[in-house]
Amino acid sequence: MLLQQLSGNLTQGLILGAIYGMATMGLNLIFGVMKIVNVGHGAFIMLGTFVSFAIFTYLGLTPIVAIPLAFIVGFALGSLFFYFIIGKLTNAPELNSLLATFAIGMLIEEVTKFIFGSEWRGFTWDVGRVTLPFTVLPITKIYAFIISILVVIALYLWLRMTRSGTALRAVVEDKEGARVCGINVDRMYALSFSIGIGLTVMSGVILTFFISVGLNPYMGGAYTLRAFVIAVLGGLGSPLGAFFGGVIFGLVENGSYTLLSLIPGIEPFSLTRFVTFFILLIILLVRPTGLLGVK
Amino acid sequence: MISVGKSVNSQQSIVNIKKYFPLLPVYGIYLLLFLIGIIYPEMWSVVTLLAFYCALGQAFNIFLGMTGYVDFGYVAFLGLGAYGMALGIDVSHQTGLNIGIIFIGIILGLLMATLLSLVVGAVALRLRGAYFAIATIGVNEGFRYLIEGAKLWGGSEGLIYFRQLNEAMGREKTNVIVTFWADVFVLVIAAISAFITLYYMRSKIGYALTALREDEDAAKVMGINVTKYKILAFITSASMAGMLGATSWGLKYTHVFPADVFEIHYTVEGIVIILLGGAGTLLGPAAGGLLYGLSKYWLGAMFPGIQLLIFAPIILIIIVAFPEGIVGTMKKKIKGTVLERYIA
Amino acid sequence: MKGRWLFCMALILLFLSAGSFGAGDALAQAPDKIIIGGPISFSGKLAKEGEQGLRGTQAAVKWINEVYGGVKIGGKKVPIEYKYYDDESKRELTTSYIERAITVDKVHAVMSPYSSPLVLAGAPVAEKYGVVYINHGGASDRIHEQGFKYAVQCYVPGSRYHVGALDMFKKLDPKLKRLAFVYEDDEFARSVARGAKAHAEKLGYTIVFDRFYPKGATDLTPILSDLSATKPDIILGGGHFSDTQLLGKQIADLGIDVKAINLVVGPALPAYGETLGKLAEGIMGPAHWERGAKFSPDVAKKTGMKWIGPTQEEYRKLFKDVSKGVEPDYHGASAASGVFALVLSIEDANSIQSDKVRYALGKLKFMSVYGIWDVDDDTGLQIGHSSIDLQWQGGKKVIVWPEEAATAKPCYPRPTIKDIIAGKTCK
Repeated sequence: MLLQQLSGNLTQGLILGAIYGMATMGLNLIFGVMKIVNVGHGAFIMLGTFVSFAIFTYLGLTPIVAIPLAFIVGFALGSLFFYFIIGKLTNAPELNSLLATFAIGMLIEEVTKFIFGSEWRGFTWDVGRVTLPFTVLPITKIYAFIISILVVIALYLWLRMTRSGTALRAVVEDKEGARVCGINVDRMYALSFSIGIGLTVMSGVILTFFISVGLNPYMGGAYTLRAFVIAVLGGLGSPLGAFFGGVIFGLVENGSYTLLSLIPGIEPFSLTRFVTFFILLIILLVRPTGLLGVK
Repeated sequence: MISVGKSVNSQQSIVNIKKYFPLLPVYGIYLLLFLIGIIYPEMWSVVTLLAFYCALGQAFNIFLGMTGYVDFGYVAFLGLGAYGMALGIDVSHQTGLNIGIIFIGIILGLLMATLLSLVVGAVALRLRGAYFAIATIGVNEGFRYLIEGAKLWGGSEGLIYFRQLNEAMGREKTNVIVTFWADVFVLVIAAISAFITLYYMRSKIGYALTALREDEDAAKVMGINVTKYKILAFITSASMAGMLGATSWGLKYTHVFPADVFEIHYTVEGIVIILLGGAGTLLGPAAGGLLYGLSKYWLGAMFPGIQLLIFAPIILIIIVAFPEGIVGTMKKKIKGTVLERYIA
Repeated sequence: MKGRWLFCMALILLFLSAGSFGAGDALAQAPDKIIIGGPISFSGKLAKEGEQGLRGTQAAVKWINEVYGGVKIGGKKVPIEYKYYDDESKRELTTSYIERAITVDKVHAVMSPYSSPLVLAGAPVAEKYGVVYINHGGASDRIHEQGFKYAVQCYVPGSRYHVGALDMFKKLDPKLKRLAFVYEDDEFARSVARGAKAHAEKLGYTIVFDRFYPKGATDLTPILSDLSATKPDIILGGGHFSDTQLLGKQIADLGIDVKAINLVVGPALPAYGETLGKLAEGIMGPAHWERGAKFSPDVAKKTGMKWIGPTQEEYRKLFKDVSKGVEPDYHGASAASGVFALVLSIEDANSIQSDKVRYALGKLKFMSVYGIWDVDDDTGLQIGHSSIDLQWQGGKKVIVWPEEAATAKPCYPRPTIKDIIAGKTCK
């Protein structure tokens, strides 16, 4: 019984973790290249969920259509913010860009509220479910899992196989060196910021495949915190690390519930959060730059 | 203040006093706030808001501004401070100490925050940059969920203690303390933090921290005990936050819920205030607090519902136009003039 | 130097002694208008419920001014004016704006913000100035255990939310025994859970599952798989809107079939059915008010109670006018009832002096579109109002409990998830 529950929770956690990981890659890419912590990260995830919501509810299309659309929206927004704000702050103290991303996040939230109102939105996209011996999986969750993996592979291939991807990695490793080698660092900044935001907005769409309710202009905060922790778990600046960090996070968050529920007199669900953050601290103590982090 | 030895002549002590001239504009602002609130009772509502933001900025600045380390989990110290007040009142309200229980609360808040900062400082300050920032988020969130999950101190139901205050001090006194003196305490904490900031700036600590902020490794090589000063700034800043939490949250709202007091948003607000004003400056947090608080208050009163839509672009414009904050930019402008002596 | 400081200190002391806090004395004469006001959230996490509270207040004020003709005081009828601020769901702004409403706008009564924590934060400010504090947004019992003299409550206290539901289940199927509790881990939901637990034990239920999920949880799968292993007959739970939405969705995702589900807050709001679609089918929830509730001037006359305010359809029209088309839910109705209570008690007291108004509020008992309104004389705790239970049937909300207010029969047991997805409805 217990084992059955544990494996059920771990399966769900694996899927959720893959989505978390996917949702953190954008944050990590931006940090790796520009050393900017995007405090407005959650707002972009929220934007993605609303793209998915609008496509499904207003246009009546399958939310899969929303995936490329969200990437384009995010890419465009990313370029826009880069040229008007972030790009002007590359030489300013690090904290300034942090404040700028905070304000950008706020702007996105408020504009969304202005357009969609403060209503809790949601939709139900049902394409059937698969019953496993230990849990039930709606097919949309399986889609989410597969798409997340595909995105990770695509990003990996881009970073490894293409010219621009290699240039980007060079900037991550050594900015000055890359400049000497003739890489246009500023262009790489713009590219990474736009792609990072694009990936983040896209991940919002994929998130709705797992949880399609509770959409609200202010829903992003919880995801920002999670993304931060996941990014650090995997190692800042390493998009792949982010993915593994996400999987670990999802497994721990869901898996520890079953074990904690054996302890009487406590609230296991709240304590799962404690456990995840505790593990984060332990990992940081052992490896101060995360699991796959480079110094 | 610094004790002046027998052998020190009067000229030196004038130099010593001159060192503290930059406190004048800061204290001027706080005194003015206080007087405005007292003379015009209808302004007290603004003053309370501004006092909180100024104090938050001023206390946080001691660590964030001076070391350049971002502590995202800073709000945990305020939260623990609030719990200190709550527990202090809860435990001692029947002892007949009357107003004394408030001070028990403040001291308890101070102690709890300081204790946490010792632990976090020893462990997390070994990390650098964003890793440190996010490890502190872990501490904050971990603490919140530990309280909720292990049902510490009332768990998620928190503590509510207006009744206990009434029992201990009577209705009239409670009302005045909760709605007036709590805010005065906040101003006092802002003033103390400002003094400490300047004291650090003008002593060896300040130079060490500047070196640390510019280049930590180089500072280490030069033989500066970076860790010691870093932890010192961290603990000072945290204990101020503990007192701030005890008064502005614990005492003022007469209730503590874990989900409310460990809200990361307050850390972000603190960062915004410091950066608007100018990180690492003395006057910056006060200026930033005024700007942030006033904009929020008036925009919220004038354009309820869309004030943040207006506020966000304002922040963006300021950050692009004044990358070093208002006071940071001002300091550059007035370099070499008489004013320089008063702004730090 | 020293002299200057002493002078400053003396100045401060002078101001302190001069700064008196009594604002209510000068207002003893009949004013030419009644001013009410306070902060309410229309940004931040409480924006949705906050907006309802705002529109409800506005609708009630509009009715008083335009239909009722104003508040009768000192032999004449004076209009009400409503001042509001956006507190962004934050404590700092809440207390600050309540103080502003009292000192700058000189309100005669403060309309509370939404949510128990914010109501608690603001209460001491209203106490300090001795201004009546209409708590239309905080359901916690504990607010009114603190000894706030001027606070009166409009919601049914949290501990009574699920009492009606349990009575209903007992009546529907006395053989059922196995209850599962899955509530949000916060002060409000815990008070609901405590009340439900006490009542369930009295009725002889066995509680097979009793766990809480943290505020802001975005995935409830672990707790729900744990719950489903205990094979309950009935699920009681919830807390706020988004988590009940999530419960409805994920109970379906995991295919947990039970005889009945009753969740606090979410199912009472129109958006619940809009977002969950057919998955909302058969889910119940308590509400303080619902369109279709049988409260009308006639009912009031029959029970010998005073009636005030618009009838239900008039109220809905007023509400949709001021909200530009948003459907009213109970958050708005509660705020409206607060306004009506205030109007009646000012008329009863024939004064706007806070102590007299508060005394009259304690004595007052009346019926409006919201239902019966009666608070405890001393604590201000709501004792007259009772909640109703709703159920989603065929994509619509209907009232199923209590029987005398019901607009439809309860759909029991809830169809299985499989049937619901296949399109089976309760009808």
